[in-house]
Amino acid sequence: MTQYLFSVVHDYVNNPPIADPVADAAMYERVGAFNESIKDQIVFMGGLHAPDAATTCNIANGEAIATDGPYTESKEIIGGLWVIEAATHDEAVELGKRASEACGGMVEVRPFQGV
Amino acid sequence: MVGKCPTEGNDMTQYLLTVHHDYNKPANDADLEAYGDVAKFNETITDVQVFGGGLEAPHTATVVANRDGQIVMTDGPYLETKESVGGFWIIDVPDLDAALEIAGRATTACKAPVEVRPFESE
Repeated sequence: MTQYLFSVVHDYVNNPPIADPVADAAMYERVGAFNESIKDQIVFMGGLHAPDAATTCNIANGEAIATDGPYTESKEIIGGLWVIEAATHDEAVELGKRASEACGGMVEVRPFQGV
Repeated sequence: MVGKCPTEGNDMTQYLLTVHHDYNKPANDADLEAYGDVAKFNETITDVQVFGGGLEAPHTATVVANRDGQIVMTDGPYLETKESVGGFWIIDVPDLDAALEIAGRATTACKAPVEVRPFESE
């Protein structure tokens, strides 16, 4: 089995979180049902706080420094992720389609390196 | 690579530590040093690590999008950028300070910027 990252690409500019609680509740319900249906293949899943909650660490003059905010400022940014196990890339993409339908957003499917 | 289920019922918060890798830079000796340093760093965070993994290069990605009710697939990453996520850790720690302390050591080990972002609680 190979592990795959499903990144949910979220448009925080046009779709701020909690803009539409009813739509959000329906989405959480769909995601919950999707999760339940593939629970044996889920290694991790979670939704992230908005990008403004991010801090970036980097090395400057040999020392680690922290800066408020995300590393890249873009309109669309990862809003949450799944790590799932699948036998093939095709299977992962099939699950990615269902993940996209469940969360109503774009999902990028990318394999992890083998160990 | 070891995955643990999210912990519940405590005051811990899960943080995503994303490594931003410059894929335009040719592989060099510093990369080998980074691999060794990351392996050593990983040994120090086993008690707080929920997940950790390195990703295959961005060109291996497939994007799945829902356009007007139609699922459309595209080969390649969503964003074609010089720097892309190379891997990440998920850690479970009491607060942001604890996450930043670990991220400081992570960026030192992997020699790349590390972005720290909290997960929403369940």
